[in-house]
Amino acid sequence: MARRGRLVIKPDRCTGCRTCELACAFVHSTGGLLGLSRIRIREAGAGPEGDRHLQMTCLQCIEAACVKVCPVDALVRNEDTGAIEVSERCIGCGLCAVVCPFGHMHFDRMLGRPIKCDLCGGAPTCAAFCPHGALEVR
Amino acid sequence: MERRFKINDIDVKARAGEHLLDVARRYGFEIPSLCHHEALPPIGACRICLVEVAWGGRRELCTSCNFEVIEGMQVTTDTPAVQHHRAMNLELLLARAPGSARLRELAAQYGVRRTRFGPPATSPLPNCILCELCVRACEQLGNHALTMVGRGDKKRIGLAFNSPSEQCTGCASCASVCPTECIPVKDTAAGRTIWGQTHPLVLCKVCGAPVMTERQRAKAIAKKGLPEEYYDFCESCKQSTASKRFASIVW
Repeated sequence: MARRGRLVIKPDRCTGCRTCELACAFVHSTGGLLGLSRIRIREAGAGPEGDRHLQMTCLQCIEAACVKVCPVDALVRNEDTGAIEVSERCIGCGLCAVVCPFGHMHFDRMLGRPIKCDLCGGAPTCAAFCPHGALEVR
Repeated sequence: MERRFKINDIDVKARAGEHLLDVARRYGFEIPSLCHHEALPPIGACRICLVEVAWGGRRELCTSCNFEVIEGMQVTTDTPAVQHHRAMNLELLLARAPGSARLRELAAQYGVRRTRFGPPATSPLPNCILCELCVRACEQLGNHALTMVGRGDKKRIGLAFNSPSEQCTGCASCASVCPTECIPVKDTAAGRTIWGQTHPLVLCKVCGAPVMTERQRAKAIAKKGLPEEYYDFCESCKQSTASKRFASIVW
């Protein structure tokens, strides 16, 4: 099946308003708990044009460490969207979050589940809410 | 081989050897359960996934999680008998685990708000319903640290022979899968305490936050073939390192 659009990150446009974090948190948790957001804004120092920010979210690696390390094959690539999704097979051992080389996976002890970007099934909410065009679906 | 049968008078198809609960959920039928997990072998312990199955002139109640599909059978997921027995089983489980919000909520759906039965006389692990999900998760991970200890009313979950285990890695998967969230896990500077053992923690090489237990790390490195430095840092420090690297590429 043809892939739907991919999430394009444009850090030079990001103002650090964190609307994406909030949108993600509201879509993926009841009550919009920011700790459950799958996208996180990191400050990247000051540049000539002002403070720089980077949007950090899962890169959906082709050869993903999280997929390799999972003992129950709970991380499954959605062939339609290209996203690696956490399936119901997860038993909450937390290894995936430990090995992700980018720190894009977060293990939530309360839920007993890793938190990671699933591209919202092909239509990322963060991109829809970004007011500056710093996240785009192409 | 394909098996065709009916669930609530709707035609469904399944592979031979598939379990009824998995098939029913795939078709969108709602069957409650507590001890079922997709990645673990079903054992029919909680008995909440009861359904009525009729085939070959017989009619019986069975746990759908470990019932292999039969050609031509007729399944009903919500008859008065099913409702009645689910309610009874929920009431019995509620006596064991009155502190579980998930169980209380499910019981309330079946009109069970209190239980006529008392809690078990001795309960070293309050709110445990003995469903063995933790035992199965531990087996699946290849650790085999957890098991049933004791018999009869003294039966409970614990480390084998009720003594400290070399097998337990302190990964806390048991606590993650527990339907009543009754397994205590405590992370302190000394380590992670679970099942009466304290496991030393690997600390992030940058900030000193706990990453995982030392045993879990050693086992993962031996089994998974990823570089050792993959296990050295906490999520937050990894993300901050990655963001610096990305920033140097962008600007």
